[in-house]
Amino acid sequence: MTTPVPPDSRPPLVRLRDVHLSFGATEVLKGVDLDVRSGEALSIIGPSGSGKSTILRCINGLIAPQRGEIHVAGTALHQLTREADRLALRKRIGFVFQQFNLFPHLSVLENIAIAPVRILGHPRDEVERHARDLLDRVRLSGKERAYPGELSGGQQQRVAIARALAMRPELVLFDEVTSALDPETVGEVLAVIRDLIRDGLTSVLVTHEMRFAEEISDVVVFTEGGRIVAQGPPDAIFHTNDNPRVTAFITGLGNREPANTGTEGRAR
Amino acid sequence: MADPLLLDLVKTAKSYGINVGFLTSPHERDIWLEGFRTTLTLVATMIPVSLAAGMALAAALTARQRWLALPARVFVELTRNTPTLVQLSCAFLGLNMLISQSLGGAGQNPFGAFFWVVLVVGLHGAAYHAEALRAGIEAVPDTTLEAARALGFNRLEILRWVELPLALRIALPTIVNNLVTLVKLTTVGSAVAVGEITYASIMIWTQRDNVVELMVVILVFFSAINLVVSQIGLWLERRLAVPGLGVRS
Ligand SMILES: Nc1ncnc2c1ncn2[C@@H]1O[C@H](COP(=O)(O)OP(=O)(O)OP(=O)(O)O)[C@@H](O)[C@H]1O
Ligand SMILES: [Mg+2]
Repeated sequence: MTTPVPPDSRPPLVRLRDVHLSFGATEVLKGVDLDVRSGEALSIIGPSGSGKSTILRCINGLIAPQRGEIHVAGTALHQLTREADRLALRKRIGFVFQQFNLFPHLSVLENIAIAPVRILGHPRDEVERHARDLLDRVRLSGKERAYPGELSGGQQQRVAIARALAMRPELVLFDEVTSALDPETVGEVLAVIRDLIRDGLTSVLVTHEMRFAEEISDVVVFTEGGRIVAQGPPDAIFHTNDNPRVTAFITGLGNREPANTGTEGRAR
Repeated sequence: MADPLLLDLVKTAKSYGINVGFLTSPHERDIWLEGFRTTLTLVATMIPVSLAAGMALAAALTARQRWLALPARVFVELTRNTPTLVQLSCAFLGLNMLISQSLGGAGQNPFGAFFWVVLVVGLHGAAYHAEALRAGIEAVPDTTLEAARALGFNRLEILRWVELPLALRIALPTIVNNLVTLVKLTTVGSAVAVGEITYASIMIWTQRDNVVELMVVILVFFSAINLVVSQIGLWLERRLAVPGLGVRS
């Protein structure tokens, strides 16, 4: 009926402009600009302490920057003053953490169902049906009644992904979701995320898995010292970039993979 | 009125040197039976009151708002550090009197001695529950709370669905301990003439020479109540046990 809008003229789902954030005297973000479009996967790479997690926490309003603009899904987050409004926005954004952070006293099914049932007030039977579908999607059918303490790290992380998806979020933020996993279980989690992104999930991923980032991202940004120092399509960042810091970081990590001890190349 | 079977029992007991003659007096027997009933009613109301107030107090103690946390802290310290008997006297003789006066006479005052015992002793238990729960709430890792916040839980929803369930599991053994103490504390009711079992027994044994007999009954009675309380506690502990969480897994 209407003429299709060229994708790039639509407003981005996430838009950060000149975001500055300090913890006390420590300046953590020093003017971050970022756009994430619907259906896009954006990866953030960069050294430890460069502000990657802080950017994700700003996007879902867990922390508020002192300066700058944040628009998420049509909401001007930086203008919200009431916690209730921030909560309303957070319900539409999924967050998956490095340490899974499941609720230890709830079964797998309850972990997934609790927020839609108790926070959104959706009918339990409908939510549980959706939860079972999601468990199937993260390849954990049959684990409904298990408790987090009975699952491997990789399994817990897949439950955490299902828990985020149960809210039917418009955007999911992944913060180094494989960094706490054994090398053998990293693959199973990445496979799940890869499927979700192929199915059109909008996501921002902080990751140290360079090959994965290159494979699944539409855009890769490189952060250092609270700034975005390079961004572009994966090919431009990983192969044709002319920024020596980016190259050093990528090859530094690349050299350590895959046989080495840690999955992260962090230097403090 | 006296049942022949009862008369028989009293006689047999007497031949063994046990004096339960008061059972043949309907009046004394009623006081005594009412004593059991009153103690059980006290226990049955005080336990839920103490638990509900304990949770509310724990929530206030861990609240970020100072106007909530500070009064809760003052209340807990006052309650824990002063004798319950004195608190009860202050409430019943002082507060209750003031209420009566302001309402225009004791006849207008809806609160009786029973109410004040439940309130004072229940809140005393609540202070102890609150401290146990507070420790449990503070043991919940920040990362778990952040996950809840990221899902859109507000402060109260976090308390209800995350902090309290986890804190309860940690605090349950201590709470059961508190409840056992609370059951025994119902006997302070005798100080304000609530006819619970010790009050009833005192009334009877001052008329007759049967202190030992009634004492033994009181001891057995309280042991039985507390056996039930601690068994329910153990059963709850097992029911709430979660693999990979806490001691019992
Ligand atoms: N709540 C906080 N209070 C004080 N300083 C903080 C806080 N959170 C983060 N920081 C500091 O902000 C800086 C950026 O932290 P952030 O977690 O965003 O880094 P990161 O890029 O995610 O690093 P990593 O790869 O180690 O996760 C760090 O120097 C960190 O110590
Ligand atoms: Mg981080």
